[in-house]
Amino acid sequence: MTQRVFVCRCEDVTVAEIQHAIALGLGSVEEIKRYTGLGTGPCQGKECIVALVRLLLAERAVTPEAVQPFTARPPAEPVTLAELASVAGTPPPEDGP
Amino acid sequence: MPGDDAVLRPASPSALTLELAYDDAPLRAAPGDTVSAALLRAGRVATGRSLKFRRPRGPFCLQGDCGTCLLRVDGEPNLRACTTRVRAGMQLQSQNRVLPRGPDPTALVDTVFAAGMDHHHFMVRPRLVNTIMQEVARNLAGLGTLPDAPSEPPAPPRHEAPQVLVVGAGPAGLAVLRRLRRAGLAAVCVERLDRDGARARCGDDDAEVRYDTAVFGLYPREHGGGVVAARVHDGDARGIVTFAPRHLVLATGTRDVIVPLRNNDLPGVLAARGLASLLRRTGDTLAVPGVVVGEGERATALARQLRLELLAPTAVEAVLGGARVEAIATREGRRELGVVALAGTPAPASELARQCGARVRWADAGFVVARDETGRAAADTWTTWACGEVCGVAERDAADDGERVAEALLAAIGRAP
Repeated sequence: MTQRVFVCRCEDVTVAEIQHAIALGLGSVEEIKRYTGLGTGPCQGKECIVALVRLLLAERAVTPEAVQPFTARPPAEPVTLAELASVAGTPPPEDGP
Repeated sequence: MPGDDAVLRPASPSALTLELAYDDAPLRAAPGDTVSAALLRAGRVATGRSLKFRRPRGPFCLQGDCGTCLLRVDGEPNLRACTTRVRAGMQLQSQNRVLPRGPDPTALVDTVFAAGMDHHHFMVRPRLVNTIMQEVARNLAGLGTLPDAPSEPPAPPRHEAPQVLVVGAGPAGLAVLRRLRRAGLAAVCVERLDRDGARARCGDDDAEVRYDTAVFGLYPREHGGGVVAARVHDGDARGIVTFAPRHLVLATGTRDVIVPLRNNDLPGVLAARGLASLLRRTGDTLAVPGVVVGEGERATALARQLRLELLAPTAVEAVLGGARVEAIATREGRRELGVVALAGTPAPASELARQCGARVRWADAGFVVARDETGRAAADTWTTWACGEVCGVAERDAADDGERVAEALLAAIGRAP
């Protein structure tokens, strides 16, 4: 088997591929995500974002003061379409207590 | 560790009373087991192949954070083996394999693209490859294949409007719940793991916590009032519960992260903390030799719990194996083993905080939630508070931090602590 160092196992993105993207002039968390697909798999970046940022810091592509993760959107946990659909059409909740 | 050698040794073989099937072969499990525990005990470590390079994959985090233990369960695709509890007669199938057993011809992709794969260039030339890739891309709608039958309708959605909603029942979340309870305030506390899993992870639990309840979305603008949406997945009782709290306390803790090493994706590379929790949950012991890879106080403690030697990441030249971990290469040579337990510093689980507008900043182990001196992280539809490890607080100080934030919350709502 080929020897690879993985950063993102969901989308199979390796250190070498991220370095390739950096060599192409891409350097931010968002750019690397869009180019390689890193962070777009079932875990939504929970496992890989730290390894990515460490790599970008080591390559001096980002600074610790300015670096930000990619946008966090629902769902942060798995949910089925049937479950989501069960909420659709329910009346808005009453005002809080 | 070739073949199907068991990774875990059961505490009591006679407790494995349930009969299940994995890829049509019999599998035994104890009531209350997770599917991952049953599979690791049976030596079924590789349960699928990766999307791009078609490499063997199996569980890693064992805590419902990563995405590589997905299985087809009773005809329903993409369920995490690590957070699915066993049931008698359960039919489990590996996913994303051409053949369930034996060699997989797509594994050739790993060799052909030895230097990496830049999929952007597939779309340009040569034309024939382009045509094939277009066809592949059109079919990449998701993992697995469609369910055998429409799923059971979920339970009708419920809605609640608690004054305080606490997310996470680790040390910080439990401290908040109990501090508020002492002041006479009944908060709702939800936890994504099941009760056994949460107790195995942090050593504590509480009868008032709603386990198996995973907050997946914060919608501060929904319906003008804002809702926190959670999925309840307790066995048969599956459905959505939404909350409209006045105060939201995020005590979401940390997640285990990947450590860059050669072949760190091989089945048998597991998160040390997830593995330690699974051993506590089941009473099992490791049936194969292993090492912990990491540095620092936390990695040392995990190595002690797992009774394994601790190696620094720089000491490991590569993880070696075919369908699963067989050895590691170090400067001293090859060392045969069956488990490589990664003990990288866990990363703050700040996704939910970011969904409701809280700011995060890089702090070495990951992105921690920024908060004011009282613990407030954002104020919008509801007031968001954050405490414990998600703010970068050390695990041993997380309970004290939760208690302090609970007192600030009590003061903010004008209740005597």
